[in-house]
Amino acid sequence: MLRHRRMFAILFSVAVLLILCGTSQAIPAFSRQYGTSCSTCHVDFPKLNDFGKAFKDAGFKFPKDDESFIKIPPILLGAQANKELFPHSIWPGSIPGLPPIGLRYNHFFQVVSANRNNFNLQDTTGNPANQPFIPRTDFQTGLFSIFTAGNFGSDIAFWVDDDFSVNGANSNGGLGDGYLKFVNVGRFLKLPTDALSLRFGQFELDLPFSQARSWNLSGWDIYAQPNIGAPGQNVNNGFSLDAAAQGVELSGGHQYRGYHYSLAIVNQNTGGTPSPGNNVSPQVSFMSDSNFKDLYGRFSYRFNLESDPASRNEIQAAGATGPRDHTYLSLGTLYFYGRSVQRFSGVTTSNTPVVITAREPFYRVGGDFNFNYHTFNLFGQFLYGRDQNLLPLIPNGLMLPTGFTAGSPAHFSGGFLEADYLVYPWMMTIMRWDRVNSTADFLNGIGADQNAPPASPFLSPVSTVRNRFTPGIQFLIHANIKTSFEYQIRPRQIVYAPGTNTALTSPFRTNSAVAGLEFVY
Amino acid sequence: MSRNLFVTALVVLAMCLAANAGTISGKVSGVSGESVVYVDVIQGKTFPAPSEHPLMDQKGLMFTPHIMVVQAGTTVDFLNSDSVAHNVFWTSVGGNKKLTHNLGTWPKGEKRSFKFDNPGAVPLLCNVHPEMAGYIIVSPTPYFATTDKSGAYKIENVPDGSYTLTAWHEGAKGQSKPVTAAGDTKADFTLSK
Repeated sequence: MLRHRRMFAILFSVAVLLILCGTSQAIPAFSRQYGTSCSTCHVDFPKLNDFGKAFKDAGFKFPKDDESFIKIPPILLGAQANKELFPHSIWPGSIPGLPPIGLRYNHFFQVVSANRNNFNLQDTTGNPANQPFIPRTDFQTGLFSIFTAGNFGSDIAFWVDDDFSVNGANSNGGLGDGYLKFVNVGRFLKLPTDALSLRFGQFELDLPFSQARSWNLSGWDIYAQPNIGAPGQNVNNGFSLDAAAQGVELSGGHQYRGYHYSLAIVNQNTGGTPSPGNNVSPQVSFMSDSNFKDLYGRFSYRFNLESDPASRNEIQAAGATGPRDHTYLSLGTLYFYGRSVQRFSGVTTSNTPVVITAREPFYRVGGDFNFNYHTFNLFGQFLYGRDQNLLPLIPNGLMLPTGFTAGSPAHFSGGFLEADYLVYPWMMTIMRWDRVNSTADFLNGIGADQNAPPASPFLSPVSTVRNRFTPGIQFLIHANIKTSFEYQIRPRQIVYAPGTNTALTSPFRTNSAVAGLEFVY
Repeated sequence: MSRNLFVTALVVLAMCLAANAGTISGKVSGVSGESVVYVDVIQGKTFPAPSEHPLMDQKGLMFTPHIMVVQAGTTVDFLNSDSVAHNVFWTSVGGNKKLTHNLGTWPKGEKRSFKFDNPGAVPLLCNVHPEMAGYIIVSPTPYFATTDKSGAYKIENVPDGSYTLTAWHEGAKGQSKPVTAAGDTKADFTLSK
């Protein structure tokens, strides 16, 4: 029964996650502040065009002459002349003239294939509670979110987004990103312009393609891939690259030309058991479960391929009929190093009960490319993940482990390839291929025990490789209203009798069609 | 002697014509903001194109001025005063979509020029900032005026005669009416969107 409940929850969570991973955000507050359309910064919101990338790089400002574009003057928090009195005055800053608040709401409708209830075959008790019904069609309320972003002057940018409501429930969505970014602090060190910026707070890692601000209805599978380990392994790492991280990030360069880098030191945030944190009065809690901080780095270089040198160095290319995104090729790489914490009951060599902690090293490494030609954009990501797999070491004569020893590492790989084509300024077609190769997920599906269901959300994939093809199309009804469609040709699955490798079904796909409607204002 | 007589006759004739030139004035109601009123094509009559180039600027993500009236044959200079890329294009002139034109892209501080020979309203757009809108109203005659805030207008130096008077307002249906100008003539318009 537990397994079935879990399956039901998992299946639905997969569907909901696939839908909601695309927590897209455009910033109407900027439209208000600058009196300009969403399309100034977005191709198909929230996908940024070259100018939007430059606007973001500059700390949510126009890269040049920002003051001349602002329609709602900022409120000065001190006259500029106070700078001359410093340190005997507070350095003057500013706040936006109107609270830069944007709101977003979305709603979904999905159709799931007829074989969606195949997993009920595992139940032989006849108990309805063990055979939850998944409807063929379903309307789903998505998110109602608030986000605010802007610049406080002195090149200090801010961003906060939070979900008021998730799935029609009240405020249980929580904080997305919330940070301050000190742009171009390298000027104090006489570094080249924009060579060094500093971000502090909670933020999505500087992924090549933002999962948090994806324009797709469903997120890219590889960014949401944990590493759970196969039976016989001791890996239980729920970390995925798309998780929000708390920490500090150094970055530099530009997203719209040349180099870009980021180096982040962030809280460890694994699926391991957190420390209780209740021994301090007043009680405090912890976001992390380790002293060790995870490390993330990314470097990319973008080659603008315009033949005209002057145009090549501009933010946007000078097309024959108007500015447009450059023809470019961007190549990048990322690396994440962390430690996954698990705590176990153990003993000392003298058989005294203690808690022993596995601090398991893991890393994710990947490469990406992004090619754009006018309104055609082709990009992809490859990622490889490896966890050390520290096995409990139980000496002879003892019942519990005293420590750990390195076992066969658990690893996965995969990525995605996506092509976006802007047929019209209001219509974008999408073709995606997501691929994840995880032996552990496959084995977990076969060996699933009724009382210990697999943690992988993919239940029982037919093979170690899961392919998902997702054609889609999106329409801007207005610049701030979008309707999106996806047809997900999902990985092949198979249902086994619980705890055995006896197949109860032939391979099948739970394909689904999803439609989304969202607006921001 | 005969030459002096001829010149004198011309001067007298010109003075007589001037004496017969009056004004057309009135009010455009039903809409708020600036409207344009002009004397439409006068059959069999042409007017020399002005030599000066009025300036249409792009500044702060806006066309400045928002509405410009020029006589047919006028060359307008388009300036980009912003540090962001702009372009200027229009989808029609006087509703004629065959006259669509795109001036392309140019950097801050530079100008591009275009000579407007065809009369009618030219809706200016920028293809990267869709909120930007401006209008050039190309009048086939030198007899045109823009209204003040109250909607009042006054076209001066209009020779006596029978004409078609056209009123234009952004987003409203244009309206034309026959008018016989003789001295100070009144012509009001009520436009609707």
